[in-house]
Amino acid sequence: MLRIENLVAGYGKVQVLQGISLHVPEGKLVTLIGSNGAGKTTTLRALSGMIKPESGKITLNGTDIAGLPAFKITRLGLAHSPEGRRIFPTLSVADNMVLGAFPRLTGARPKGDVQADIERNYDLFPRLGERKEQLAGTLSGGEQQMLAMSRALMLQPQVLLLDEPSMGLSPKLVEEVFIIINRLKREKITMLLVEQFAAAALEVADYGYVMENGRLSASGEASALKNDPAVRAAYLGQAH
Amino acid sequence: MQNFFQALVSGAAVGMIYAVIAFGYQLTFATSKTLNFGQGEALMLGGLVGLTVSSYTGYWIMLPIVMAFGLLQGSVVELLGVRQAIKIKSEAGWIMATIALGIIFLNLAENIWGRDDLKFPSPLSEQPLSFKGVNILPMEVLVVIGAVLLMIAVEVFNRKSIYGKAVVATSNDRDAAGLMGINTSAIITFSYALSSMAAAFAGVLVAPVTLTGATMGSALGLKAFAVAIIGGLSSGMGVIVGGLLLGVIETMTGLYFSTGYKDVPGLILLLLVLSFKPSGLFGKSTIKKV
Repeated sequence: MLRIENLVAGYGKVQVLQGISLHVPEGKLVTLIGSNGAGKTTTLRALSGMIKPESGKITLNGTDIAGLPAFKITRLGLAHSPEGRRIFPTLSVADNMVLGAFPRLTGARPKGDVQADIERNYDLFPRLGERKEQLAGTLSGGEQQMLAMSRALMLQPQVLLLDEPSMGLSPKLVEEVFIIINRLKREKITMLLVEQFAAAALEVADYGYVMENGRLSASGEASALKNDPAVRAAYLGQAH
Repeated sequence: MQNFFQALVSGAAVGMIYAVIAFGYQLTFATSKTLNFGQGEALMLGGLVGLTVSSYTGYWIMLPIVMAFGLLQGSVVELLGVRQAIKIKSEAGWIMATIALGIIFLNLAENIWGRDDLKFPSPLSEQPLSFKGVNILPMEVLVVIGAVLLMIAVEVFNRKSIYGKAVVATSNDRDAAGLMGINTSAIITFSYALSSMAAAFAGVLVAPVTLTGATMGSALGLKAFAVAIIGGLSSGMGVIVGGLLLGVIETMTGLYFSTGYKDVPGLILLLLVLSFKPSGLFGKSTIKKV
């Protein structure tokens, strides 16, 4: 579904990604783990067009999307719930949600039933339903994270990129977020998940990639990676 | 006392014109953090194009035509003057470019319509209505109603329509708006178009009260800029209050001191606001997150 070959990208003269290749098969959940600054967020930003890759190939469902502006990539069906949530603070929860469906409401993607999808999101995240008329900027961090995820889902994406959905959340909320990711996985939504909680991410994912200094250092079935001694030592905090 | 109310009424009318132009400054600032310093010239072109068109169609049919012209003119300004500067993240390129385009439009207007001020036929009676000795021109009433309606219309569009929400989203966070599939470059062009449309509309509202001519916009554009600073570049309420404040202060100064000094108090107010509340009377100070 989403295939990356030899992706090189960075910010200005600073090259972060030194040529990575990665594959997210249809209906699967792939996770990208690694320490801070390894280039996980940069990978997602290059995929969704927030930064222009220097070289390499990115194909979404066979279409080359490398270097396209973000809005065009979104209209091709790739949704990105970005680092830092980036919800629209002066708009209501409901309006944030509606904007996630912008391409569907403006003819760039099949319309479907937008209202039903909003209701479905309120089922998935009841707290958002209780606050639909509230300005998104007044939500708590956890609620904003849920809004960012449900806003991305509103695209009815072919591929969903999730950047650190657990960042800054209380342990209880982290657990809740992973329950929802699991639920989306069961619905066969194709996902690429970047996570700091490597253990939890490998628990829920089908495949995993480990990133180190802009390169992929290991990959494989998530269950295999979870038991790999090197990965355990470096990322799962179970060295001793 | 009669004179006082007279000055209040006249000040309110001119103040609403300032407010509409200042509102235009806000529209482009919201989406792109840039301003069209040729707003005054957009107003002037609206007035002069309106004068020519209305000689064929009459005033009311001319209004939508002039607004369409404003949309077009604003798009041209963004495409020629602003887009490149935004792309290369230039801090000042758009300032020079919009000023330059303003001067070009001014020259163009002088060559087409001449340098003399022209009388703009009033669509309403020029017989003032009298309330207890206070004279109000019907056109002044139209100025206030028209200005308020325009601002309400844009506000409703922003709140209710999906494209309006896309404009607000772009103002909130341009990158995130792009991730929603919103073409934010097009939204910025649109905000310039809307901004010039507001100015052109203000031009044909004010023209029957004043006169029309190539230089009619320069002072108005500058004062509206002061209003946008006084009221706050992000506050819709701010430009209305700021516009009324400046308009009334000007007419009061003209009445109680001398018309020669009428521009001074407003500018002093501007300096005071800049010193004590730089984000404007109604502006929220922006805290940059790092």
